[in-house]
Amino acid sequence: MRPDDLAALSPLLILAGAAVAVLLAAAVFRSHRLAVALTLAGLAAAFASLSIAWPHAPRPVTTLLAIDHFALFYMGLILAAAFTVVLFSHDYLATTCLPTEGVGQTSGPRREEYYVLMLLAVVGSAVLVASVHFASFFLGLELLSVSLYALVAYRREGRLGIEAGVKYLILGGAASAFLLFGMALVYAALGSLDFSGLARGFARGDGEGLLPLAGIGLMVVGIGFKLSLVPFHGWAPDVYQGAPAPVTAFVATVSKGAVFALLLRFFSMLQPPRHGALATVVALVAVASMFAGNWLALLQTNVKRLLAYSSIAHMGYLLVALLASGPWAPTAVTGYLTAYIVTILGAFGVVSVLSTRSRDADGVEDYRGLAWRRPWLAGVFTAMLLSLAGIPLTVGFIGKFYVLAAGVNSDLWLLVVMLAVNSAIGLFYYLRLIAVLYRPPSEAAAGAVASLSLPLGSAALLTLTLALIILGVYPAPLITAIQACLP
Amino acid sequence: MTAFEGLWLIPALPLAGALVLAAGRRLPRRAVAAIGVGSVGTSAVIAALVAWQFIASPPAGHAVSQVLWSWLTVAGFAPQIALYLDALSLVMVLVVTVVGLLIHFYSAAFMARQGTPPGDGYRRFFACMNLFVASMLILVLADNLLLLYLGWEGVGLCSYLLIGFWYKDPANGQAAMKAFIVTRVGDAALAVGLFVLFANLHTLHIQNLLREAAEQWTPGSAIAVAAAALLLGGAVGKSAQLPLQTWLPDAMAGPTPVSALIHAATMVTAGVYLIARTHVLFELAPPVQSLVAVIGALTLLTAGCSALVQRDIKRVLAYSTISQVGYMFLALGVGAWSAAIFHLVTHAFFKSLLFLAAGVVIARLREEHDLLKMGGLRRAMPVVFWTFLVGALGLASMPPATAGFSKEAILSAVWNSGAGAPWLFAAGLAGVFITSLYTFRMVFLAFFGEAHGTPDGETDPVMALPLVVLALACLCGGLLHWPEALGGHGWLGGFLSSTFGTEVQAGPVGTERILGAVSEAATFLGLAAAGLLYARRRACLPGLVRSPVGVLLHRLWSSGWGFDEIYAACLVRPFVSLARFNRNDGVDLVYQALARANRWFHLLLSLTQTGRVRGVATGMTVGAILILLILVFQ
Repeated sequence: MRPDDLAALSPLLILAGAAVAVLLAAAVFRSHRLAVALTLAGLAAAFASLSIAWPHAPRPVTTLLAIDHFALFYMGLILAAAFTVVLFSHDYLATTCLPTEGVGQTSGPRREEYYVLMLLAVVGSAVLVASVHFASFFLGLELLSVSLYALVAYRREGRLGIEAGVKYLILGGAASAFLLFGMALVYAALGSLDFSGLARGFARGDGEGLLPLAGIGLMVVGIGFKLSLVPFHGWAPDVYQGAPAPVTAFVATVSKGAVFALLLRFFSMLQPPRHGALATVVALVAVASMFAGNWLALLQTNVKRLLAYSSIAHMGYLLVALLASGPWAPTAVTGYLTAYIVTILGAFGVVSVLSTRSRDADGVEDYRGLAWRRPWLAGVFTAMLLSLAGIPLTVGFIGKFYVLAAGVNSDLWLLVVMLAVNSAIGLFYYLRLIAVLYRPPSEAAAGAVASLSLPLGSAALLTLTLALIILGVYPAPLITAIQACLP
Repeated sequence: MTAFEGLWLIPALPLAGALVLAAGRRLPRRAVAAIGVGSVGTSAVIAALVAWQFIASPPAGHAVSQVLWSWLTVAGFAPQIALYLDALSLVMVLVVTVVGLLIHFYSAAFMARQGTPPGDGYRRFFACMNLFVASMLILVLADNLLLLYLGWEGVGLCSYLLIGFWYKDPANGQAAMKAFIVTRVGDAALAVGLFVLFANLHTLHIQNLLREAAEQWTPGSAIAVAAAALLLGGAVGKSAQLPLQTWLPDAMAGPTPVSALIHAATMVTAGVYLIARTHVLFELAPPVQSLVAVIGALTLLTAGCSALVQRDIKRVLAYSTISQVGYMFLALGVGAWSAAIFHLVTHAFFKSLLFLAAGVVIARLREEHDLLKMGGLRRAMPVVFWTFLVGALGLASMPPATAGFSKEAILSAVWNSGAGAPWLFAAGLAGVFITSLYTFRMVFLAFFGEAHGTPDGETDPVMALPLVVLALACLCGGLLHWPEALGGHGWLGGFLSSTFGTEVQAGPVGTERILGAVSEAATFLGLAAAGLLYARRRACLPGLVRSPVGVLLHRLWSSGWGFDEIYAACLVRPFVSLARFNRNDGVDLVYQALARANRWFHLLLSLTQTGRVRGVATGMTVGAILILLILVFQ
């Protein structure tokens, strides 16, 4: 490995180093603040090191990873999102994760390991967005997933957390098996594990046989699970609901974003035929996800489950952009993902800020009359929901507009119409939630969720809201940056 | 660095002020006033600098454009956030910022005296007012119709918010909704107009659009007529012209400074600005342009008659505003673009002056709006009396208030414009008489005669200062465009010619002088009639009013020609009863079925949400099998 390779890999190395540092620090000196500070410093340093890696891109590092502008852009996105999640996590853990009375002895609050797991999950995501090889793909995915299994079940006192963790573990294991078996079949047919070799094989027409097609199909199952696409979406509501709110934010943004980035790279390298069987499958999955997600969310009264269903629909929208060909598709996918990450971070940020020691604030009743009790927070949540619904002047509109434009440019009229219909269905439950925010508060709710505002989470929320509006009104820099980074 | 680079600050500062005021929940009143007035004041200063540079060293092509950013760039549709400054928008910017500044200054004292509604009404008032000024500036500076539409809707929103400012009284909320809904009819026409223009000319950039239209469309072609008529629809709604004028008298429910700024000086003239801005389209559509003139003439007469019989001083001024904007439409209709803008400017001066002075009168008489219960205020409030008198002279176009010259400029342009001119001229001349009559009726009833009760307190100097400044503007306003018949050179018209090109030519000096003299004669006739009828309360007035014709006219005019009743009978009630009758119709069933289907699908899918791992795993497996089947067998 040459120094240039090390420079190109520096974000990954720093992240891995930070994970070890937090682990060692926790072994010697248990302090929540120290762990948070080290984590934030690690993430910030990794973000700064993107500029070190930038001049070396595009550069293959071993056969496993390709550090190109695409990967660096997504790493930046992941690091920024993770940074925000850690800010929320600090406030969340400080309020909710307190010393518990165990059997016989008092156990500490155990907050520090959370950050180790989160850093490891970030490393996994960063590997995913840079991987050009099945091995690194699988390693990154497992690093991400295994960390998440533990994070989802991090709050052990309640039943929901453990249940969510175990469900995610069992189903995730099954999905990984599908993925691995699919990779094996593809390898058996094409004799290659790296994407460029596969692309050559597909270009030769070797991908038409039964074996590679079945392999790709099984891989769709594995990837579809991670993105909670229909019919592999069953885990999403339970995990979203059971996991601590910041972890849910992480699952919804970093984890899905990284997997989608990989999918985008895989798709644009392999160039599957636009009217082939694979395109049909993806289109069907997209339509099913849009409808199922929106319908399931329609009358849902648990906010975290509602956002889970809404995310199923949003992943369906993203697939429409993925299916579009031409220069707009990658821009549309990346723009939509960025918008989605900003928005969903803000939404779960509000949930996390409102959560109390006993439980997360996920009932609709917790939000009733929020505008009268905490007008700022209600304003932020309103902005986030409007952005999810794709109302103009929010970043969500820009994302959706680009997806629609990409679809129209590729003549995917059926999918575009489905997307429009689903936007209308989606609007119903977003507006239903907004209406709840502005109703007169009930007596009970006023006392139930009356937590104090913590500084880090509030600052993060403010930043996200500003980003949401500024990018909604003035998206040009974002779009320019995306287009500069795409191949 | 040139002053033009600061152009964006002119709308940005009031916008920033509005945001700060909306967010700053704990701001003390003093700070609220400082931010509210200061932001508009700074804008006015920048506007003045820009104007100075524009006049001292005109930019190339007599226009500056400043592209701030592109909102979206997708497949040929690239709306830009860009500002365009030429002579026309410069004049509008100056009017909006300077008159806006004076009214904000006045409001700082005026609103402090008013009973504050629940919540922090003072801060809410200035936040809305700043937002209004920002929207209005965006409207006049926009270089494309999409951005103009943003400003257009923004001023409509602020108008709604401020008419319903005292929302505890449901009537005020009703008035606000009426204004919003009636103007919406026009806004819909404008939106459709924008679609038509974009569909045919593939751009919304105003200057390119006008150039393209002039090249591609033949005069009088159907498409040009359609586009111009749709734009006219928007203008008619916003400027309260026939047949969409009914909202403006009710809009007087808002605080008086709001009436002065939004419903007299600026927003209601947005329609005039729109037509002047897109005048090329109207020149391409002669029937529509004639329609503009006819609408203007009819509006100025009908609204003037209504103003004659109102008892509420603010409603007199409201009808007067409709009537004066009618003059502007008349001028636009005969192609006298700069005369219309001239009248827009002077009208902003004298009408905001009259409103502000009326606001003082109303406040010091403990919310008394009724003219017949006023009287003899001349001695009790001399500053208000003299400034009101100057404003009245301006409105009636009588010397020494030179602001009234604008009306004579319109009349002379109408005379010189050719076809149909005698009728339009006659209408305008009759309007001059009516204007003078209702103006001096107001003056005589409020300030002369016997006093009914004594006013409270003193006139606040903070409120007196804007009155004096505006009175000076009324006295000198005519200097902007001193008529050539009196040895002037018509500066404003020359200045605006870089936007409008050639216009209606003035006739020979002799004719102009005769026209001026005729118009002055009509004015003095109005004054004499008002003196006869109202100054001494002679017995002839009750006789006139009680005669059968008088009773009929009085009822007709005081209800604004019964438009509200007509609309209620022809549109509102039939629509409501149709809706009632049709409550369970098939169309609703479709939507209910849609909603029910969605709910049903929700419930159906919810059955799958058992939370059991084996169920989810089964779903995954079935999905995997289906995918494999599709891939293998397709």
